Amino acid sequence: MSEDIFSCDLAATKVTMSSSNLRDLQRELESKTNDLSKLQKDIAKNHQVRKKYTVQLGENELVLKELDLLREDANVYKLIGPVLVKQDLAEANANVRKRIEYISAELKRLDGTVQDLEEKQNSKKDTILKLHQKIQSLQAGKGKA
Amino acid sequence: MASSKGGAIPLERMSVEQLKALKEQSDLEVNLLQDSLSNIRTATTRLEIASAALHDLSLRPHGNKMLVPLTASLYVPATLHDAHHVLVDVGTGYFIEKTMPEGKDYCERKINLLKSNFDQLVEVASKKKTVADETGVVLQAKLKQLASSS
Repeated sequence: MSEDIFSCDLAATKVTMSSSNLRDLQRELESKTNDLSKLQKDIAKNHQVRKKYTVQLGENELVLKELDLLREDANVYKLIGPVLVKQDLAEANANVRKRIEYISAELKRLDGTVQDLEEKQNSKKDTILKLHQKIQSLQAGKGKA
Repeated sequence: MASSKGGAIPLERMSVEQLKALKEQSDLEVNLLQDSLSNIRTATTRLEIASAALHDLSLRPHGNKMLVPLTASLYVPATLHDAHHVLVDVGTGYFIEKTMPEGKDYCERKINLLKSNFDQLVEVASKKKTVADETGVVLQAKLKQLASSS
C-alpha cells in the first residue's frame, strides 16, 4: 500500500518536472524564433540595399561606356539641382570611375554581411529544429505517462 | 538556387513542404522577371518616342516657328535656332552634347541593347515558368495522393 503511494508520488513529480522543462523549452523556442525572424528581416533589408546598388552600378557603367565613346572635344554637362553645369570630359570620366569603384566596394561589403547573416540564419534554423524535436519527444513521453 | 535544388533531387521525390517552398520561390522569380520585362518594354517605347522626336526635329528648317511646352499645359512660341545639336541624358545626371546623327545613333544603340537584354530575359523567364509549372503539377498530384490515402 505504502509502496503504491510512493510510486504514484514519483510519477507526479516526473510529470511536473517534464512540464516545467517543456515550458522552458517552449520559451526558448519562442525567443529563437524571434531571433530568426529578426535575422530574416535583416537579410531582406540587405537584399534591397544590394539591389539598389546593383542598379546604380549598371547605370554608371552605361554612362562610362558613353563617355568612353566621346571625342576629346565633346561637351559634357552635369545636372546639379536644376542647372546644367559644363564639365571637363576627363573630370566626368574620373568621377564616374570613382563612383563605380565605390559602389563595387560597397557591393562586396554587402555580400560579406549577407553571407554572414545567412550562416547565422541556418544555424538558428538548426537549433529551432532541434528544440522542436525535443518538445515533441517530451510531449509524446508525457502522453504515454 | 531553385534550379540547383531541382537538379539535385527529382521533383517526384521531394516532400510536400519542399515542393511548396520551391513553388513559392520559383513563382516569386517568375514575377520578378515579368516585372523586369515590362520595365524594359516601357524603356524601349520611351527611347523609340525619343528617336521619332529627333527624326521629326531634324526635318524642320532653320527658324521654324514652334510652341515649346514649359509645363504640361503651358506652351510658349519659339523659333528653332539649331536643329543639328542635341543634349542627351545618359543617366546619373550627365548630359552630353551630340550632333543630330550621333543622337539618333545613341537612341538606336540603346534600343538594340534593350532588345538583346529583353530576348535574354524572355528565355530565362520561360525556363523559370516551366520549372514553376512543373512544380505546381507535381505538388497538386502529391496533395491529391495524400488526400486520397488519408
